[in-house]
Amino acid sequence: MKELKDLKGKDYWRSLDQLADTPEFRKFLEREFPEGASEIKNPLTRRNFLGLMGASIALAGLSACRRPVEKIIPYVKAPEGLIPGIPEYYATTIPIGTSAYGVVVESHEGRPTKIEGNEKHPSSLGKTNALLQASILNLYDPDRSQRIFSEGDEKEWSDFVAFWKTLYTEYKANQGEGLALLTDSFSSLTLTRLLDNFKNQFPKAILAHYSPVSQENILKGLVIATGSEYLPLYSYDKANVVLAIDADFLLAENENVINTKNFARARKVSSTSDQMNRLYAVESSYSITGAMADHRLPCSNSEIPGFVAALIKQLNASGVQVPGADDLSVQGETKIDQNWVAAVARDLVKNSGKSLIVAGSGQPAVIHALVYAINSALGNIGQTVNYRDTKDLGESNLESLVALTEKVAAGKVSTLVMLGGNPVYNAPVDINFGEVLEKVANRIHLSSHLDETSRKSTWHIPQSHFLESWGDCRAADGTLSLIQPLIAPLYESHDIVEVLSLINTGTEQKSYDVVRAIWADYIPSGEFDQNWRKILHDGLLEGSEMSTVVPPLKGRDIADYLKANPLRSYIPNQNNFELSFDTSPAVYDGRFANNGWLQELPDTVTKLTWDNAALMSHKTARHLGVKNEDVIVLNLQGRELTAPVWILPGQAHFTVTLALGYGRTSAGRIGNGVGSNAYSLRTTNAPGFDLGLMVQKTRDTYPLTSTQDHGSMEGRPLVRESTIDDYRNDPKFAEEMVKHFPLVSLWDEHGYEEGYQWGMSIDLNACTGCNACAIACQSENNIPIIGKEQVKNGREMHWIRLDRYFAGDLENPEVVHQPVACHHCEMAPCEQVCPVAATVHDEEGLNVMTYNRCIGTRYCSNNCPFKVRRFNFFNYTKDLPEIVQMAQNPDVTVRSRGVMEKCTYCVQRISAAKITAKNEQRAVKDGEIQTACQQACPADAIAFGNINDPDSRIVESKQNDRSYNMLAELNIKPRTSYLAKLRNPNPELS
Amino acid sequence: MAQIFPEWSNKVFPVLLAFIVLGGVATVGFFWYYGSPKYTDVGYRPEQPVPYSHKLHAGDLGLDCRYCHIGVEVSYSASVPPTQTCMNCHTLIKTDSKKVAPVLESWTNGTPIEWVRVHDLGDYAYFNHSAHINVGVGCASCHGNVHEMEEVMQVEPLSMGWCLDCHRAPEEHLRPVDEVTNMKWTPPENQMMLARQIIEEKNINPPVDCSGCHR
Repeated sequence: MKELKDLKGKDYWRSLDQLADTPEFRKFLEREFPEGASEIKNPLTRRNFLGLMGASIALAGLSACRRPVEKIIPYVKAPEGLIPGIPEYYATTIPIGTSAYGVVVESHEGRPTKIEGNEKHPSSLGKTNALLQASILNLYDPDRSQRIFSEGDEKEWSDFVAFWKTLYTEYKANQGEGLALLTDSFSSLTLTRLLDNFKNQFPKAILAHYSPVSQENILKGLVIATGSEYLPLYSYDKANVVLAIDADFLLAENENVINTKNFARARKVSSTSDQMNRLYAVESSYSITGAMADHRLPCSNSEIPGFVAALIKQLNASGVQVPGADDLSVQGETKIDQNWVAAVARDLVKNSGKSLIVAGSGQPAVIHALVYAINSALGNIGQTVNYRDTKDLGESNLESLVALTEKVAAGKVSTLVMLGGNPVYNAPVDINFGEVLEKVANRIHLSSHLDETSRKSTWHIPQSHFLESWGDCRAADGTLSLIQPLIAPLYESHDIVEVLSLINTGTEQKSYDVVRAIWADYIPSGEFDQNWRKILHDGLLEGSEMSTVVPPLKGRDIADYLKANPLRSYIPNQNNFELSFDTSPAVYDGRFANNGWLQELPDTVTKLTWDNAALMSHKTARHLGVKNEDVIVLNLQGRELTAPVWILPGQAHFTVTLALGYGRTSAGRIGNGVGSNAYSLRTTNAPGFDLGLMVQKTRDTYPLTSTQDHGSMEGRPLVRESTIDDYRNDPKFAEEMVKHFPLVSLWDEHGYEEGYQWGMSIDLNACTGCNACAIACQSENNIPIIGKEQVKNGREMHWIRLDRYFAGDLENPEVVHQPVACHHCEMAPCEQVCPVAATVHDEEGLNVMTYNRCIGTRYCSNNCPFKVRRFNFFNYTKDLPEIVQMAQNPDVTVRSRGVMEKCTYCVQRISAAKITAKNEQRAVKDGEIQTACQQACPADAIAFGNINDPDSRIVESKQNDRSYNMLAELNIKPRTSYLAKLRNPNPELS
Repeated sequence: MAQIFPEWSNKVFPVLLAFIVLGGVATVGFFWYYGSPKYTDVGYRPEQPVPYSHKLHAGDLGLDCRYCHIGVEVSYSASVPPTQTCMNCHTLIKTDSKKVAPVLESWTNGTPIEWVRVHDLGDYAYFNHSAHINVGVGCASCHGNVHEMEEVMQVEPLSMGWCLDCHRAPEEHLRPVDEVTNMKWTPPENQMMLARQIIEEKNINPPVDCSGCHR
């Protein structure tokens, strides 16, 4: 650590244990694989294992020499244009709430295997995030509901159609009296038209939209500020200064893919003359947006009004009058650092028109109204933030759900149709939705799983996955995006368009016909057929984005609202804790709970897997006398929930953050019983956060699994970081951070002058640590999930991991992320110790792993300085249900027990591109090969290519001043290099 | 005193030694020969669900390989044709033949024909047909004289050593690209010169690293 300090770096630490340098941590480091990792922990004892082995050898004989007979089963009638072995790609759209992400899906002989972003789509621009990458696995979830159920009996679709026909006639006659429809939030032309039709058919029916995670408060804030609802569109690439108020716009908020892409674009520095944006984050819990921030202020959600008021005051002092907030007063208490706010305010004013203030969707409407007023006062509207009207938007509306529940409780609803969503699990606990629901005679639920709501329904209809559905979405900018199926429904499932059409008309209709008719109606007549073919190809209607508007700011309305509802600010204290509900970056609102890839994905900041936990600061934990893994009881307004403690440095004091989406009881075999159900404390009054939490200690502990200490690399400058100003003075700082003797090799060095020589460069300045790469890699390379127990043993299999280091003090540390995969060292230490030459170099500089040769000594992993090799302790894939095997990439070997594996630089993609190029008698072009991690990365942080090609992006990246090799002093010559991270602190604050 | 060991016991040791040595050699030799793909795989001729004759179609009638195996120039898989391809002709020709009956049955019922794989590589080896066909490796180089086979038989061991022999010295097995499907093509006298010309022209550099075939 000392050496590092001398080298003008920071003290980095990975966990509290390391900071304290406890004996446990020492012990942990001493072992390559944590305790117990080499013992076979299964019911087979060693003795009877040997017995069995002996018997099978005796039986084997020579009959086993010829492989078993394999069949080739061709098509009877081949689909047009399909050539076996050549994957096909189709454009479709993934709807998540009101967001719509355009994607291109790879399909092998009709079997979708991989999701990538659609370059033409405004909400993905060719990029994806972890949720989008993982959603392919939901298609092959063996726990998906496969049959229609009514009161516990299996039924046919025709039964439901017949059932609905009788109800249809009844409701048609009485104009829908007693009929209610509840949908998830959506943004769709077709669904809007169908719902309009529904309202016409059944004028007296009740319609409600509910989703636990939504932009509802943003819309309501705009109503306060302007009188109508508008949707924001942020342009982070145009903002020099960004202030994020409890807004994790890089991961949790809507449109995080393009937010990350645009933000990174404004942050990247290729030479000393480049400008870099500046990010301020004010937040209660540590998010990756906070980690990217140049200045972060821990602030409880309850004190955010105090912060906003202080900001407005300081803006006034800098000469910017915020309309509607002239005589703004705040009740309660606030202890915001005025100097900090003043400096931020001056910075914002200096960058008027090029700054951006954004508040998180969990913040109340009034904060969003004030944020709109501030952005307006700074001249940012129309520059860094645009608005469009809310056409075709069915945003969640809590009041509509409450009104519906009241009607139901009063016995005025005889039929409730729930299309998607899972309100029994995730509706606010105080409306008792699950209990009240039973008063409805006909409860119809469309959902992918037999979930909590389905179990309380009289009819359950399996919902098709988006890869089996027809439909459409409007992207954030209004672009019409098409959902088209890549595969016929695997089970007897139906999509939402089909069910809603049946509800409306009482007759069966194909969703394709419905969607096509609505689009035909929308698109000017004449060339529809031609247009439609292009829409199917592109996945969207080009030029259909909506025009942006500048909503008129009504300062007087804001002032009136504030007079009636004055701002209140509180500082949580030891007698009055705050509880915040965060969207989980893994399971979102709970809908991804049965997705093993996401459950096993280490959280971006805590690095916890397979659980949520009550996050609190060190000071709070000390006050409570608890440590990591201690179970506490959270008591909010008389409702209790137990959860394990996890101490998160940088959390605002006396606040507890709990991620939503855990504690499911009917998610499936993966998601059931994982974590604590935060919805059981969430009420209609405070869906974002609430004060008045009481915390009780218990004597129990609960094991949590964090990967944060795994593969620790102590005290060496692995992540190198500086400020933009220091970088301008000393551009080569990163390379100079390590002084070492001239490097001489004991071996004859390989010559790598000819042909393709693959290399990678990762820009730490752009990387946000969002985990998209990790899931993309898992999907591309058939990486198994191994379960919480095995992760606890340190056996996680991810080929690319995101190391997270804290730096600075415990109260408000800085966080840096560093993706680490195999570095493909030219002088690879792993190769030197392999006794069977299972890991060797190829002539293109790849460190290749030959699974068939590997005998599992694990020497290579021992000798790997980066700790990126992964060992198959068990045969993780052998018992995979057949349906899950369909998600596997046919171009990558599925590994068995006892072999080592690691990043291959996506050698299957390299081979494919090389063969294509050779067949076309040309060289592989720069950019033709994208590794899975690179292709997914929304920040464009990863460059890959031929380092022998002087015009390639990879060479440009490697020639950047900030480029450095990790552990270069070991003379291992890694092919992966990093670009050092920069921060752009405000000189007034540093 | 009588000798404890009779005279013949002198021979026990050398005989035992001979047995051990011979036994060892025999065991190694046994597996060397009988365990190698040359013995286990070459000559494999499984019975197919349709008595399709390559001799008749590819040999006597002279159909080009690519009429059925459409993927061979562009894909890793040469691909076995769908029933539809058979029906291009057999809607009119030999519709009452017993041999064609399973094809007609597949066509009417929509059930695919389950062919038995003859040339079966390990699933961990990613062989690519297009990479070979486009540089002038003839079909016959690996599959033998298919146009003379009533039922397809494996004629080469398809072992890794066998692959590498050619990858290290491909000269013997190269021919002009437009002759790859010609079953009757014989190497000219100046094969080595021709091969070197093709190698130059196509920039042939067959991979011998693990990553060439294994992923």
